[in-house]
Amino acid sequence: MEQPMELLGRQEVWNIAYDHALGETASYFFTQIRDHGRIFGRRCAQSNRVLVPPRAFSDETLLPTTEWVEVGPGGRIEAFTFVYEQFNGLPPPPYAFGYVLLDGADTALGGYFRNVDLTNPREAAEKLAIGTRVVTKFAEQRKGDVLDFWFEIA
Amino acid sequence: MPYKVRPAVVGCAIRPAITGRDRSLEEIIYDISQAALADAGLTIEDIDGIVVGCNDQFDGRAISVMMASGPTGGVDRDILSTPSSSEHAFVLGALRVASGQFRTQLVVSWSPTEVSSMSEAQRLGADPYFHRALPLDELSAHAMQAGALNHVWPNAWVFAETVAVKNRRHAAVAWPDPSARPAPGKARWPLTDRMTTEPVTGAVAMVLAGADFVAERGFENPAWLRGMGWATEAAFLGDRDLSKAPALEEAARQAYEEAGIKDPAAAFDVVEITDATPYCELIAYDALGLCPREQIAARMAEGWFAKGGKSPVNLSGGVVTFNPVFCTGMIRIAEIAQQIRGKAGAHQVEGARLGLAHAGSGFALQYQSAVILGATPKGDAP
Repeated sequence: MEQPMELLGRQEVWNIAYDHALGETASYFFTQIRDHGRIFGRRCAQSNRVLVPPRAFSDETLLPTTEWVEVGPGGRIEAFTFVYEQFNGLPPPPYAFGYVLLDGADTALGGYFRNVDLTNPREAAEKLAIGTRVVTKFAEQRKGDVLDFWFEIA
Repeated sequence: MPYKVRPAVVGCAIRPAITGRDRSLEEIIYDISQAALADAGLTIEDIDGIVVGCNDQFDGRAISVMMASGPTGGVDRDILSTPSSSEHAFVLGALRVASGQFRTQLVVSWSPTEVSSMSEAQRLGADPYFHRALPLDELSAHAMQAGALNHVWPNAWVFAETVAVKNRRHAAVAWPDPSARPAPGKARWPLTDRMTTEPVTGAVAMVLAGADFVAERGFENPAWLRGMGWATEAAFLGDRDLSKAPALEEAARQAYEEAGIKDPAAAFDVVEITDATPYCELIAYDALGLCPREQIAARMAEGWFAKGGKSPVNLSGGVVTFNPVFCTGMIRIAEIAQQIRGKAGAHQVEGARLGLAHAGSGFALQYQSAVILGATPKGDAP
C-alpha cells in the first residue's frame, strides 16, 4: 500500500518593532496619567462632546477639538467581558475588561476592572452590570500607558 | 444610485471550511478562482478585472494581493484589493461592472488559519495608542456587544440561544456530515461556547457580468444585483452604542431604496445574516427591518426565520457553523447568489426569487453591508 505523501509546514516568526508617534494629543493624555494620575478628554466646540480617549479632531464634525477637559475619576460601566485566554504581553487571565463612561465624558474609555472575584462568572457579571458606578485607580509606578490605570466598583 | 449597466452573479464557488494541509494558500486561491470561472462557463480571457478581499495579518503576507495575482489570473491584468473586508471586494467589483467600464469581474476572498493566534492577529486591528494594551479581538468585541444587548433587552439571551439552535439545525441539512463541522468556539462572557465556533480556513469567489454580457452569453440563471448599501461605524468601541447597528440601518436604507423595497419583513424568500454571534443576528433583524424587537418572540414561535418559514435566515448554517473569519461576509452574499441561481444544494429554497445578504465584519461588525439579489433584473419586488 502506498504511503501517504509527506506534507511539510514552515513556521515563520517575524520580530519587528514599530516606534509609533503618539502625537501631541495622546502624549498629553498619557503624560497626565503618568505624572499626575489624572485623565483628560478633548472637547469639540461645535458639538460640545468631550472625547475620551482624546482625539485631535472630532470624527463627527471633522473640526479640530479645542479644549482639554478633566474627566472622572468616577464613571459608569458601558460594556464588559471576561477573558480566559492569555494574550501576549497582557496580564495573566482570567480578568475583566471593558469600557467606562467617565464623569464629564461623552465617549467611553477602555480599561481593566480589578478587585472583582471572577470565580463565578454570573455573580461577577451582576457586580459589573452595565450602569454600575466605578472609580478609576492608578498604579503607584506609572509609565504612561493604559496599564497605568484600572477601574474598581465604587 | 443608478447603474449604467446592471450587474449579475453568473459564477460562484464557496468553500466555507477547507481542511487538510495538502494545498498551500496560493493553491487554494487558484482552486476557488478556477471553480468560479468553471461555474460561469468562462475562462480568464473573459474577465476584464479582478478584485480580491484579503487580510495581511491572517495571510502572513504584507500586501497579500501581491501573491494573489498569479493564482487568480491577475498577471498582466487589472487586479485590486480591499483589505477592509471581503464584502467590499464584492461591492467594488459590482460597482466596476455597474460603471459600464468593465463587462466582467472576478471577485475572490479567502481566510486561512495558519497564524499561531487568530486573536493576536485581530488585536493588530486595534490602534496602538489606546487599545492595543487590551485583549481586543473580535470575540471580545462581540461579547461586549452581546452584553450591551442583554442590558437594553433582558430577554435577548433567550432569543440568542434560539437563534444558535436554529442555525445549527440548518447546518445539519446543509452539511449533513457532523465531522465536517468544527467544534464550538470559546466562551467569553456572556457568550457561551454554543454561540461561537472555532475559525476555519475558507475561500469564496464570484464572477460578475453586466447585462449586455449576460445577454450575449445567454447565462441561464443569473442572480441580478437589485440593490446594495454599505456603511462603517466608529473605530473606537467606546464611541458606539453596541446594542444598535446604525451603519447597518444606513446600508439597508441604501439597498432597499435602490431595489424599491418598501416592506423588507415580507420581501425576501431567503436571507443570510452574518451571525458572528447570534446576538449579531438579533441586532440585524431589527436594523434590516426584518422584525422589530417587540415582535421577535412571536416570529420565532411561529418559525418565521427557520427552514420552511416565511423568511428563512441562514439556511447555510451561518457563521456559527463555519467562520472563515475574513471571507465570511462575502460568503453570505455568495450563498444568496447560489439560492437565486438554484444552485445552493441541500439547503436550496425552491423557487427563490429575491434574497438579502447581510455582510458584516470587524470589531462588533464595524463594517456593514446589505446586498439584494434577484432572479430578474428588476420589477417584481414587493
